[in-house]
Amino acid sequence: MSVRDILSAENELTNMLGAQQAVVLSTRVRLARNLAGLPFPGWAKPAQREEVADRCLKALEALPRFRRGHVLRMSGLSDLDRAVLVERHLVSKELANGKSGAAVISRDQTCSVMVNEEDHLRIQVVKAGWHLRSAWHLAEQLDDALAPRLGFAFSERLGYLTACPTNVGTGLRASAMLHLPALCLSGHMDKVTRGLGQDGLAVRGWLGEGTEAAGNVFQISNQQTLGRSEEEIMKHLSGWIKTVVEQERNARRRLAAEEGEKFTDRAARALGVLRHARLLSSAESMNMLSHLRLACDMGCLPEERRSAVDRLMIEGQPAHIQALTGAELDSDARDVRRAAAIREALKDFPEVGPPSA
Amino acid sequence: MGDTRQCAICGQPATVHVSHIADGKMVQMHYCEACSQEKGATDPAVFKLVDVLAAQSAQPVLVCPSCGFSDVDFRKRGRLGCPACWEVFGEALGGLLAKVQHEPVHHGRAPAGLQPDEATLRARIESARRELAAAVKAEDFESAARLRDEIARLESSVKTS
Repeated sequence: MSVRDILSAENELTNMLGAQQAVVLSTRVRLARNLAGLPFPGWAKPAQREEVADRCLKALEALPRFRRGHVLRMSGLSDLDRAVLVERHLVSKELANGKSGAAVISRDQTCSVMVNEEDHLRIQVVKAGWHLRSAWHLAEQLDDALAPRLGFAFSERLGYLTACPTNVGTGLRASAMLHLPALCLSGHMDKVTRGLGQDGLAVRGWLGEGTEAAGNVFQISNQQTLGRSEEEIMKHLSGWIKTVVEQERNARRRLAAEEGEKFTDRAARALGVLRHARLLSSAESMNMLSHLRLACDMGCLPEERRSAVDRLMIEGQPAHIQALTGAELDSDARDVRRAAAIREALKDFPEVGPPSA
Repeated sequence: MGDTRQCAICGQPATVHVSHIADGKMVQMHYCEACSQEKGATDPAVFKLVDVLAAQSAQPVLVCPSCGFSDVDFRKRGRLGCPACWEVFGEALGGLLAKVQHEPVHHGRAPAGLQPDEATLRARIESARRELAAAVKAEDFESAARLRDEIARLESSVKTS
């Protein structure tokens, strides 16, 4: 079963194959592309969507990048499997809920292409940590390999043509997932969100549009896709990400200096709860894990423990808990399983000490 | 004389009248008290509702010859029907693009293997020059060198095309 393989395989995000960093959890690049001469998925007839899926899947399966990867048609997956893919950000909710959507995912899970989402193709590349350049180069390679095979809809004046006017032009959405506990704790996050919004960047929660920022994790991305080149869009985003990372680091230093024992106490309590609780909701565990991640970044815990924390943030989500247990569970049963899994993963964690970073 | 107009939602006698301008034409919508409350017709968000209702009754002005998608469909969905729709609705969408995008002209990549025309090359040179100026200002000399080479390459393709 393919989704089981995705959960158990070594991969970019839960095994931290890429370089791991204190503030930026991951970098993502997405390109929207459509086949010339065929209606967009939302307006196409079922037979046309089938034709698009067949052509795209055939082209994708031929690429070396997807050798020994996963080809998944949403109609052939259970609700739970689709929810796992959404929680891992490999497919969007829109694709998972649609009828004729499909996804092709590379073996290491860095590259995934959604077929028949809002556009015919959504090419996505994700990297752990802040690696916009290398994520972009992978996306560019996939784009170049697919263009001659599929014939993309393109106009000299408007660039790549998309279903929605907010994606036309480059079709590029570049984003970073940031862990910003100190900006949240010190009450500055609203100001940061407003500032970014005024300069054309969107700030969203952990699971994208319309979601809460559970665990102090935020996704920052460009909003405009037309009128600026890919290079300009990425440079603009990079500049802001550097600024936000710097502000978060400053806020952390200030918080540690001002709070003293209270700072250490917060991390120690989080570890205490996570190591002893018998019931843990998704929201509570995300918030406690956020404190623990901050503790690893600040030297209250050894830095090499951070990857275990990141993994629990991903694998503690509702569909992941059920898939890893191998059964559908109601919310109470999930809280029991989640607490057990976290207790087990943290059992040999050392005691929390004062910050050293 | 009583008002004989009917509520657009339930058909009861209408007591709330909303005027709304769509595509330069005045559209009047009428609701009964209950529906206007329930659907928020007296709220600024009413314009959404009016849009939906107006879209249902309005005759399409623009229709894409290749997929049959119309301006009425666009008002309902906010998405276009097919790539050729951009030709049909491009001009009408100009205002929206100006609002949600930087400028209504593409600067950036073209599909691999596609030979860009002169106007596109010039637009790309223009955007590379802007980036170069920004890179020099930021003392990012690595990017500046790359951009200088790219501009030279683009300029030579304008001359040969």
